[in-house]
Amino acid sequence: MSAPLNSDPRIDQAAVTDESLLSVHEAMLGKQPDEKARYKLLPLNLLFLFSGLIFFAGTYLNRYSGHFDPHIYDENAHPVKGGAVAAVAVDPVVAGKKLFNNAACNTCHMANGVGQPGAIPPLVGSEWVTGSEERAIRIVLHGLQGPITVNGANYNSAMPPFGRVAGSGFNWSDDKVASVLTYVRQEWGNQAPPVTTAKVTEIRTKEGDRKPWTVDELQKIP
Amino acid sequence: MTNDSTHATSAEVTAIDSQARGPLCVLLASGLAWLVISGVLGVITSIQLHTPGFLADCSFLTFGRAQALRETSFLYGWIANSGLAVALWVLGRLGGSPLRVLNWAVAGALFWNLGLTIGLIGIGTGDMTSFGFFQLPRYVQPLMLIAYGAIALPGVLAWSGRRTSGLYASQWYGVAALFLFPWLFSAAQIVLLWAPLRGTLQAVAAGWYTQSLWSLWLAPLALTGAYYIVPKVAGRSMPSYDFSSLGFWTLVVIGGWTGGRHLVGGPVPAWIATMAVVACSMMLFHYIVVALNLRIASHGSGTAIRFIRFGLVAYSLTGLLDALSSFRGVAVEWQFTLLATALEQLGLYGGISMMIFGGIYYMVPRLTGRPWASGALTSGHRVLVSLGVVLLIVTLAVGGWTQGDELLNPKLGVGTIYTQLKLSLMIGTAANVALLAANLFLLVNFIRSAVVCCGTSAAAESAFRQPAALEAHAS
Repeated sequence: MSAPLNSDPRIDQAAVTDESLLSVHEAMLGKQPDEKARYKLLPLNLLFLFSGLIFFAGTYLNRYSGHFDPHIYDENAHPVKGGAVAAVAVDPVVAGKKLFNNAACNTCHMANGVGQPGAIPPLVGSEWVTGSEERAIRIVLHGLQGPITVNGANYNSAMPPFGRVAGSGFNWSDDKVASVLTYVRQEWGNQAPPVTTAKVTEIRTKEGDRKPWTVDELQKIP
Repeated sequence: MTNDSTHATSAEVTAIDSQARGPLCVLLASGLAWLVISGVLGVITSIQLHTPGFLADCSFLTFGRAQALRETSFLYGWIANSGLAVALWVLGRLGGSPLRVLNWAVAGALFWNLGLTIGLIGIGTGDMTSFGFFQLPRYVQPLMLIAYGAIALPGVLAWSGRRTSGLYASQWYGVAALFLFPWLFSAAQIVLLWAPLRGTLQAVAAGWYTQSLWSLWLAPLALTGAYYIVPKVAGRSMPSYDFSSLGFWTLVVIGGWTGGRHLVGGPVPAWIATMAVVACSMMLFHYIVVALNLRIASHGSGTAIRFIRFGLVAYSLTGLLDALSSFRGVAVEWQFTLLATALEQLGLYGGISMMIFGGIYYMVPRLTGRPWASGALTSGHRVLVSLGVVLLIVTLAVGGWTQGDELLNPKLGVGTIYTQLKLSLMIGTAANVALLAANLFLLVNFIRSAVVCCGTSAAAESAFRQPAALEAHAS
């Protein structure tokens, strides 16, 4: 059909009835675009367009949303995570306890630090532990071999090197060595000053790589 | 009044039209009266832009208030009354039975316009709110909300009690417009007037209302008529109609998210403006689908379809420019210039109003049962209003183009910039005068048509040709 020629500006003629308008368009809605395998290019293009717009929207939103942070007013700003990152001081006793119980210390010295008679010396009340930090640091760094007298009792065994030295199976950082020493020097009633990381580093640098200490060698050190 | 039995002989004009005549003419008459009033105010504000002393000692009509009065009477007077009249009529036609409870619509129209009148007096005496498109003082807003419900009721009943099977795009848009406005209006009243949000949230809510009023109320209201009249006159089925529902839902779902586009560079979190930019781009899909569906408007002839064709071009252009100007790089020059005004006028006058004009030209002969009283006034209105709109938008856009650049130049004083705009603003006044004159033509023509039909009505029936059935054809 052709549209009516509306030559009179005073009235617009209708070309089609309301009923047919409704029924024809209702029928069009249910129709699949690929019915009978005849693709119509337009719906396909529209789908691509719609997807393209969604893709653009997602990308743009991701780039300029300021991570939906209510405090970011500049779309190019990057959010700061809850204040500046500051090193939190770790309690060496807490860290040392963790190392003592999760590494190898407690298997020989026991969790309560009493050791084993004749073999492993105790840490509780030991003059080697609470005494010179120079000696204690060296023992943990490089290990100890041969007989040792603690609180008047004799012990004979070998302690492996724990520090970051050649032949060490543990390779603990100076931090860890300091923490574990501080822990054993202040636990079970022991009351000795803490061991600093700097001191450990100093001794490790001074001694370098070497074989485990013996009691005789240690007694020459103050 | 017209004898219904004579109407029954013509399938094109039925009891659906004749029974709705009185109530819809009340709405139309109020709408056109407000259009002329807002036209007068438009001339006044336009003159004040280049001659600031004009009426400056009349507090009622100082620029700020006159501008709010113009905007409010245009939106809530002209578009609301006339747009609702067209939408109600289309819903009634497509529902297949005469509109029910039309007295409610009449009562609603009376109270709506009473509220609007009180509101405008309130604005004039200094009670306006500070939100764009929402300046009505809060004491009239609840009344208007209730009145709106009464006007919308016949449309809702025509939709829920329809005798026809299936729903057509006009009905989606019409019903959406009827239901979405009360939501927008009441939500905005609560968060802006009765329990105001504080701080920047207020700006966000105001932006949401302004944009939503456009995309969730004005646009669907205008498209209700366009989707109905274009295939009726062009005599073709709608191409790519299977995508129209996607276009509709894009408008409904995305439309409200475009609110932050006026807040680019403002004191709000970056994501609000970013979301609005994205939403404006997504809305392109709606505009493209509408343009594809209604491109058959190029086939018809006659007054109504010419208006709607103009309206559709302007509507699509609005969508495109809306998306473009929302981007931050563009907004930095575009915001706060005459370009923004030009875009608003392109949407409201070029898009929405022209489509409603088309709807009125198509509907009134069917309500009255006879052609418009004067062909000369009809053509005169069409030519003059088209020229006026084009002139207004082009001059505003040209003025705003340089203004945006100059406002960013710290070496130029604001006074210098506005002196340079004077020519554009004076041409803008001429355009506003043309629009006022054009709309007076329409008002006179409408009054003559409506008055004539109150007399005898025998001769006119033959004016309508019998429409054929629409054939489905691939397009």
